[in-house]
Amino acid sequence: MMASGTLLDLRAVSHFFGSRLIFKGVSCVLEPASIMLVAGPNGAGKSTLLKIMAGLLPPRSGSVQRRVEDRAMAFMGHQTFVYPALSALGNLEFWNRVYGRGLDDAGLLGLLERVGLKGFALEAAGTFSRGMAQRLSLARVLLVEPQLLFLDEPSTGLDTASQALLHAELESARTRGAGIVWISHDLERDLGRADTVLQLSGRSMTYFGPAGEFPGVAA
Amino acid sequence: MRASWLAIAAKDLRLAFAGGQGPVQAVLLGLLLVFIFSLSAAPGDRFSPQQAMAIFWLCSSFAVVLIFSLLFRFEEENDTATALLLSPLPVQGLWLGKTLAGLVLLVLCQVFFFPAALVFLGLDPGGSPGGLVLMVLGVDLGLCILGGLIGAMGHGQGAKDALLTIIVFPLQVPLLLGGIRIGVGLMQGLPLADLGEWFGLVLAFDAVFSGAALFLFPHVFRGE
Repeated sequence: MMASGTLLDLRAVSHFFGSRLIFKGVSCVLEPASIMLVAGPNGAGKSTLLKIMAGLLPPRSGSVQRRVEDRAMAFMGHQTFVYPALSALGNLEFWNRVYGRGLDDAGLLGLLERVGLKGFALEAAGTFSRGMAQRLSLARVLLVEPQLLFLDEPSTGLDTASQALLHAELESARTRGAGIVWISHDLERDLGRADTVLQLSGRSMTYFGPAGEFPGVAA
Repeated sequence: MRASWLAIAAKDLRLAFAGGQGPVQAVLLGLLLVFIFSLSAAPGDRFSPQQAMAIFWLCSSFAVVLIFSLLFRFEEENDTATALLLSPLPVQGLWLGKTLAGLVLLVLCQVFFFPAALVFLGLDPGGSPGGLVLMVLGVDLGLCILGGLIGAMGHGQGAKDALLTIIVFPLQVPLLLGGIRIGVGLMQGLPLADLGEWFGLVLAFDAVFSGAALFLFPHVFRGE
C-alpha cells in the first residue's frame, strides 16, 4: 500500500537486458517537495531505473506506483526533446497543445523570457547551441508545471549561467511541492540540494536514505 | 484527445514543409516512375486501363514508404518520441496524427501523379468523379493506416527503410488490387454498384488494419 502523499513508490524492482542483470532489489519512495539524487558508477543502470520510474520501461520484476497523472510528469535528460525545424515558440506551442495547458502566446513568451530565450522566440531551434536547446527543454518542463520531474544529467554541457538557472527552477519546483528524481554526475556539487540519495552499485541498491547520512560515492 | 492528435498532424505537416521541401522526394520518384514506364510503350500505343492504374498505385505505394519514413524520423532526432510517450497524449493519438499527416501528404503527391498519368500513360478518369474520389480516399486511407503502423515498427531502427519496404509492400497487395480494379471499372464507365465487392475489400482492409493499429501501435512504438 502506497503511503498517503507519496508521489512514487518502488518495491523490489529488478531489471535485465536479455539475460544480463542490470540491478535487483531496488525499493524507494519519493515524497512531495523533495529531491532524490540517484548515484552510481557508469553502467550501474541509473538511466534505466529512471525510465522505469517514469513508466517508459516496465520492470522485469517488482512494482512501481505513481500517484501523479501523466499530464503532471516531465522528463529532462541528455536529449533536448526539441524539434529543430520549429521555432522556440513553435516548439512550446506544440507541447502546449499536447498537454492541453491552454496558454496564449503571451504566456508562452513569458516562459521563454524566464529561460532567457525571449529574443530567440521565432528562430529555428536547430540553430541553437546545446545550452540554448536545453534552456528550451527547461521551458517545456516549466510549461508542464510537473508534480513529478525526472532529470537525467540535465546539466551536461551547460555553462555556469544555465546551470544556475536550472538549479533555481528546480528549487522553485520543490518549493511548490514537486518531487524530483535527479541523476547527477557531479555528486559533490549536487548532494547539498538533495533530500535523499539512492545509490546503485554492483547490480544492486547499496544505499537509500537521507542525503545527510550518505556515506559517499561507491567505486 | 482530439486536440492532441490534431496537434501531432499539424506539427508533422509544419515540419514536412519546413525549409520548403515537403514531400518533394516522393513526388519526384513518382513522376520519374510514370515517365520511365511511359517509355516502355511504342510511340502511338496506349497503356491499357489496368496498366495505367497499376502504375498510378505503384507510385502512391512508394510515396507512402518515403512519407512515413520522413514522419517518424521527426521523432528520432532529439528523442522527442520519449517526451511524447511521457505526455498525456494516448499513444494511439500519435498514430492517428501521423496517419492524418501522411494522408494529406499522399493526396498532395497524387495531385502531381494524376495529371502525369493522364499525359504520359493515357489514364482516363472516366465519367464518375465521385467514384474516383471515393476510390482514392478509401485506398489512400488504407495505405496510410498501414504506413502509420509499420512506420512505428521501423522507428529507431537503422534498417528502417528496408524494414518498411519488406513488410509494407506485401501487406498492401489486397488494397492495391482493389484500387486497380475499381480504377479500371471507373475508366470503363461501370456503375459504382458493379464495383461494390472491390469497394468492400478496400473498406474491410481499412477497418481491419485500423483495429490492428489501435491495438498494436502502442506496443510497436514503445519497442516492446
